[in-house]
Amino acid sequence: MNIKALLKSLLLRKFTTGLLILQLAITLGLLINSAILALDTNEKLAQKTGLDAENTLIVSLQPTSGNYRDLDYFRSIVSQDLQELDKLPGVESVSLVNQLPINRRGMLGNVYDLDDPESVRKDKYLQDVKIFLTNEELAKTLAFALVEGRFLTKDDQLDFGSDKNGNILITESLKNALYGDTSALGQETNNGRVVGVVKDIMLDPTIPVDKQYGVFGNRVMEYVFTGRNYLLKVTVGQIDNVRNQVSDTILAVQAERDIYRIITMAEHMKRFYRHDKGLAELFLMLCGLMIFVTAISSYAYSQFHISRQKKYIGIRRALGARKKDILLYVLTENWLVYTLGCTLGLVMALGFNILLSQYISLSKPGMMLFLLASTIIFVAGTLATLIPAIKTSNIPPVIATRTV
Amino acid sequence: MRSSSMFSYNLSLAMQSFKRAPTLYFLIMLTLSIGVGVLCANLALVNSMASDPIPEKSNKLIHISMNTWPGDQPPDEPMHILRYRDAMKIAESGIPKRSAVFYASGVYARDSESTSMKRFDSAVRATTPGFFELTNAPFAYGSAFEKSRGMEVVIGDELNQKIFAGVNSVGKTLELDGELLTIVGVLKPWILRPLFYHATEGRAFNLTDDIYAPLETAIDLGWSIHARSSSADNYAGVEETRDKNAYYLQAWVELDNVNQRSAMQSYLDSYSQELKDAGEHPLTTRNELHNVSEWLTAKKVVDQKVLAFTLASVLFLSVCIFNASSLLLSRFHAAKFEVGLRRAIGASNRHMLIQGLTESALLGLFTGLVALVLSWLFLKLSVQFLPRLANIAVLEPKLLVLGMLLALVTSIASALYPLYRANRYTISAELK
Repeated sequence: MNIKALLKSLLLRKFTTGLLILQLAITLGLLINSAILALDTNEKLAQKTGLDAENTLIVSLQPTSGNYRDLDYFRSIVSQDLQELDKLPGVESVSLVNQLPINRRGMLGNVYDLDDPESVRKDKYLQDVKIFLTNEELAKTLAFALVEGRFLTKDDQLDFGSDKNGNILITESLKNALYGDTSALGQETNNGRVVGVVKDIMLDPTIPVDKQYGVFGNRVMEYVFTGRNYLLKVTVGQIDNVRNQVSDTILAVQAERDIYRIITMAEHMKRFYRHDKGLAELFLMLCGLMIFVTAISSYAYSQFHISRQKKYIGIRRALGARKKDILLYVLTENWLVYTLGCTLGLVMALGFNILLSQYISLSKPGMMLFLLASTIIFVAGTLATLIPAIKTSNIPPVIATRTV
Repeated sequence: MRSSSMFSYNLSLAMQSFKRAPTLYFLIMLTLSIGVGVLCANLALVNSMASDPIPEKSNKLIHISMNTWPGDQPPDEPMHILRYRDAMKIAESGIPKRSAVFYASGVYARDSESTSMKRFDSAVRATTPGFFELTNAPFAYGSAFEKSRGMEVVIGDELNQKIFAGVNSVGKTLELDGELLTIVGVLKPWILRPLFYHATEGRAFNLTDDIYAPLETAIDLGWSIHARSSSADNYAGVEETRDKNAYYLQAWVELDNVNQRSAMQSYLDSYSQELKDAGEHPLTTRNELHNVSEWLTAKKVVDQKVLAFTLASVLFLSVCIFNASSLLLSRFHAAKFEVGLRRAIGASNRHMLIQGLTESALLGLFTGLVALVLSWLFLKLSVQFLPRLANIAVLEPKLLVLGMLLALVTSIASALYPLYRANRYTISAELK
């Protein structure tokens, strides 16, 4: 195959070839970046959370009546709720907590050892540690893994108006930030005395994995009005059963409540990334449209080409070129255009990546992705030009004798 | 006369041309209208997000941020949320024409006389009475409450529809968290896009509130804070916050001119300095005034993801134009003989150009119509993918016009080069 001759033939159609190459390049650029967005989102969704997300049910609710301003009443109802939910078949453990893991912001506070209040200056993440007000059941519900010490017990619970901080459980990354390799047990922080350290769970996905600082205190009964979320650990396979019974169980205890969310931890995580996923899907949709449009262009390009080259191809056929040769010739010509398009597309992908990163965060394009996207372009392009190419190869040699 | 008959002649030529190659023109129209539709749907989102919610006085309404955190590690510098005494200092300054100090809360509401115990989840704005005139809140019935304390509320249209079926409910009593409050005013349907008075914490595209309650009353009743709060002191409920370092109030003032603005600035600065001199905070004096558009820009209410997608749609539209252009080129090439013939029997270059432009303008018109339908469709689709934007997905008339214009421009732009080429075809070459 004579590449030089092919190039010459392409130069005869500078404008259309140029347009097609530009189209291919833009399509490739968008394709690569959309794939990056989609992969990034999937990666985020597949992150390790340290939670049994599929078998943990979140029930969020709020009292609607004024009676709940009497906190003793509030507490008695909540205690009954917990008891009744615990009795449901399939429920292994129930706890009450003021905020959910896998969330931005929420109730935050600074945490430091009483002997070293300056530490918050060195590590800005220590200023915004997640403060969980919960009860002794949380460790069981979220299946915490103990690193040292013990979990919270019923005896750690504080009463209304207590001015003590009580005992706390902290996450391993927080322990490392405050105490390094030495044991944290018995240490006094501004939030209470450390009695246990647990392995990290995903508290806020927007901050680094080694900064998942959290403090858990048995204080939710003290601030019962903050206890908006019941967490239920459910036996494998029972989640739908339990989900269907939760509302009735709670409302049977006392009806004046608004249950505004009953979802699994996995669904909660999906919701957290819903906007990211939505954007990736929008981009992929646009890619689909773009490939469609580019395929039309490739088709039109070949078609246009035949109508102009009929004569010459006829002459070639007359001079002895086989159908196969013509087919290969037309396809090679297209492949050459795609190669040029994809090469320019690499530049386009990088440029587009830089432009997009002004608005959103996304990873840098990799070589594998480039090759994959190029393959898609080649396949889509070849499919679109196959019919015109076959048509071209069917041009009979007799054409050569006409209109010369 | 002649020009109008030429025009109709050109139109009929264009229609003939469409009929001769319907698939090709359909493809051109389809690609262009998809391109315009996608871009137009995006611009509709951007337009809603970037629009001025209160054009009559957006440059006079000023949001105040202050820097009075008692420690040397404030959560932000300056903070957009204020503590009670700082906010009150602003309200009592006497400089602005009006001021509003408020926080967002929520209660469950029911008509106290109703037999139904169903309560409606209602967003609450606990505010000083200046809020209504400052934001030009439109009243359907009754009026604003006059003091910051009192068992009175103003309710929004939506809640009024839900509880009272839309009738005049002034004088009726609502039961809110066990307390009885009387309705003194009902608002008309009130749309603010963006919700400039609460543009932070991802609330910029929330709907306006359901219940507007006097600030002091809400604090006394302990209605909890539903937006961001930061506190240097511990407190058990909102009712304890007045003399604590609890930051949760937002303050807006209405200033008539630049002089007032600088007066307000120096008033705040000297107040901050006084506090600092008294040893109440160690921070530099940094009080910031932002008018509505400055505030919305500073808070980046325009969704960055949508902007990124808009960028992609612009590229997509350009691909569509390239595509249409190469399709048209092949169409004109196929019609070479006809063009050559018409040139040979005396059509001037100008005539050929006008004829070509008429054709593409007509094509643009069709494209525009299809594009408008598609942009509505894509807007619905975008909301499916990005549900957070549901409240702002509206196609305003000016966007319909823009979509039409875009269709015309792209259609003509894609025909320019093919036309130029077609005008160089000569009959002699064709007749050879």
